[in-house]
Amino acid sequence: MKPQSNAWVMAKILLLILASAALYTHIGQLVPQKEVLAPTKIIVDKDASPEELAELGSGIATGKGLCLTCHTVGKTGVLRYPDLAGIATRADAQIEEMDALTYLANSIYHPDDFIVEGFLRGMPAINKAPIGLDDEEMIMVLAYLQSLGGTPTVTLELTLADLGVE
Amino acid sequence: MRTPNKLVLVALAALVILGVFAGIRGVTWFVQNQEFRASQRAGVGAPADTTPRDRGLADERAAEEEKNATLVYEPQPYRQIGGVSSRVIVWMLAQLHLLFAAFVLAVPIFALIIEFIGYKTGDKRYDKLAYEFTKLLSVSFAMTAAFGAFLLFMLVLLYPQFMQYLMHVFSPTFAPYVALFFLEAIFLYSYYYGWGKFGPRVHLFLGLMLNVVGTAIMLIANAWLTFMTSPAGVSESGAVFSTWEAINNFTWMPINIHRMIANVAFGGSIAGAYAAFKFLTARTDEERAHYDWMGYIGQFVAISAFLPLPFAGYYLASEIYAFSQTLGLQMMGGAFSWLFIIQAALIGNLFLAANYYLWLGMGRVEGTAHYQKFIKYLLIVIGVCFAIWATPRSIISTVSEIRAMGGSAHPMLGYLGVMSAKNTAVNMLILSTFMSFLLYRRTGKRATHPMRGMLNTMQFTIFALASAIVIFFGIYGYFVSAAERIKFSVPQVGSVLLAMVLITILDVILFRKAEKTGEMRWGRINPISQYVLIFIAFSFTWLMGLMGYVRAGLRQHWHVFGLIRDTSVDAFTPTLGFATKVVSVTVLIFFALIGVVFWLASLSGRPDWQPNRRKDAAPTVSPAELS
Repeated sequence: MKPQSNAWVMAKILLLILASAALYTHIGQLVPQKEVLAPTKIIVDKDASPEELAELGSGIATGKGLCLTCHTVGKTGVLRYPDLAGIATRADAQIEEMDALTYLANSIYHPDDFIVEGFLRGMPAINKAPIGLDDEEMIMVLAYLQSLGGTPTVTLELTLADLGVE
Repeated sequence: MRTPNKLVLVALAALVILGVFAGIRGVTWFVQNQEFRASQRAGVGAPADTTPRDRGLADERAAEEEKNATLVYEPQPYRQIGGVSSRVIVWMLAQLHLLFAAFVLAVPIFALIIEFIGYKTGDKRYDKLAYEFTKLLSVSFAMTAAFGAFLLFMLVLLYPQFMQYLMHVFSPTFAPYVALFFLEAIFLYSYYYGWGKFGPRVHLFLGLMLNVVGTAIMLIANAWLTFMTSPAGVSESGAVFSTWEAINNFTWMPINIHRMIANVAFGGSIAGAYAAFKFLTARTDEERAHYDWMGYIGQFVAISAFLPLPFAGYYLASEIYAFSQTLGLQMMGGAFSWLFIIQAALIGNLFLAANYYLWLGMGRVEGTAHYQKFIKYLLIVIGVCFAIWATPRSIISTVSEIRAMGGSAHPMLGYLGVMSAKNTAVNMLILSTFMSFLLYRRTGKRATHPMRGMLNTMQFTIFALASAIVIFFGIYGYFVSAAERIKFSVPQVGSVLLAMVLITILDVILFRKAEKTGEMRWGRINPISQYVLIFIAFSFTWLMGLMGYVRAGLRQHWHVFGLIRDTSVDAFTPTLGFATKVVSVTVLIFFALIGVVFWLASLSGRPDWQPNRRKDAAPTVSPAELS
């Protein structure tokens, strides 16, 4: 093999390295670009209607609450976690002598105590760190869940005791 | 013409310097005395002994002193250097430190193994090769320490409050860390400088101790960083109740294992790149043969460590999920889901490049056409698996997009993005690469074993069975619940590992006392293969940078996940595009520095410097020789 000059070899290596860096950086630009900001507290009027709360709860479910990272809405087949479509209706029949609202509230405050049959444990307590929703935000999520197959009824005046959460 | 006496020239130079100095001093004196002229009218203006400017300056100083005396000390949670992002500074320094540290930890592992092979076989080539690898360590060790100190200074400077907390948790580990660091320096330099100076067993012992101490250092440092991801041993407010639990947190052992394997893969690839560089600049066939062999060994080390790496990755991921579902979901299904698509592109490239290198390597041996016909099938399998692995499951979407899809997964391609498909793809990639290596190993040989037909059939059956098991569980996973599906990775991984072990054993038996059909001609390989080695080293390094980012970035707006919140201006997760730019710049800096390491390592092989002598000059004779 004819030896090449060191300068020429170095130039080719440099070119290869720069081209590889450009390739991988370019791939990095092709994927969706999104800055994820630290979650902020959602401020809402104390007199907000259940429908308004449900709308805000929908935003929490897709955003800082991370609910729809695992749960789906309107999907069938083999699922990783329970589908939420019609949850407001189904919740009523999950546990005897427990109404839908109490079931939903307890499910999001104490998820490990309410595992739906056929699914694994895994849902974090979203009112604790790192997600850390406060009680008002939890009510907004409840309103959203009630809106899936039902009519939201909760308001910010409700306390944990009113919701039947221990 | 006669040349001026050197003494005169020196005297003249000194006079010129003195003259210039006197001139500058004179001009300065003149300007200072012309700055202010006192008033000519008596009783008006300044007193005779001071000027208004002097008094103004004195007033300013007094005001400054008064202000300084009333300053109140306030602890700063964060500091900044100019307008530069503190996070990016620490990010790049940590990455550079880790890359050099990984290299310094990895090279002694395989240098020791190669030296041991040389000791057992008596083949001096292995000893020489091990020494050549070790030559790269000395400067790299200094670079690691320098970047480590730089990183620590920057952390203390930019994140004082957070560092104070980490010191509160981990202060008992500092003294052992420093002691181990000293020991590592002693063992490293005695291993390097003691080459050939000690008996082989003593030298091997030094190498072993270097590895033990280096690994212990890594274990301590891993405790600090894994605590930030999965804190343990502390109360909800952060008070420590068990330092050991803080060390032995959820992700500590998985990271230890993952890093150990990844370091070897990375170190092998960088050593392979060094050999490639030396091959390309070699002047003789002998040199080329040596560096071709060295590159092959480096690559063999890298790929051997690379194959089990995904399994270590699964273990790490499962422990992250076990610690916090939220963290796991952020990693695989949330903000970082697309990062794993970039990772898939990189790993796909690595698999393709590694296979390509093996296929090119077949050119070293004559008569390899029989095996080369299988390459196209392997290429198809690798391509398909690459595509499946690069298909995302959950994507970052807008609210309306999520609603339209009924979730965060694409209705069609989403099926290829689940773990069933990905586990199948990665296991088939590993099996295919293993088959490439097996084909390469068979080149230039013909089995003469009396049961070769049966052994060949057994190998093929095992390969087919392993593939069938992997594909079966991959498809079956779509029809069972999540609780069942998650268990399928065990038989998939188990069958691949078992197949690799069994096929290798059978291959060793099959080709014992094999007939040679062609000589191995080290150095006779297409030079493109050497650029492939450099590409593999670059891709490994870039992959380490990317995965380092996700490991740390996963915490998002937390310094210590769920415990200490990041309240700085950098408390957001940047775009992946930005992250890849930072990774690229860091890796380019690393390659520039590793180029310096290569250059310094190659200096020891150069001939000694000799003063230039004019060809026509008469030989000089020293007075000693005359006497």
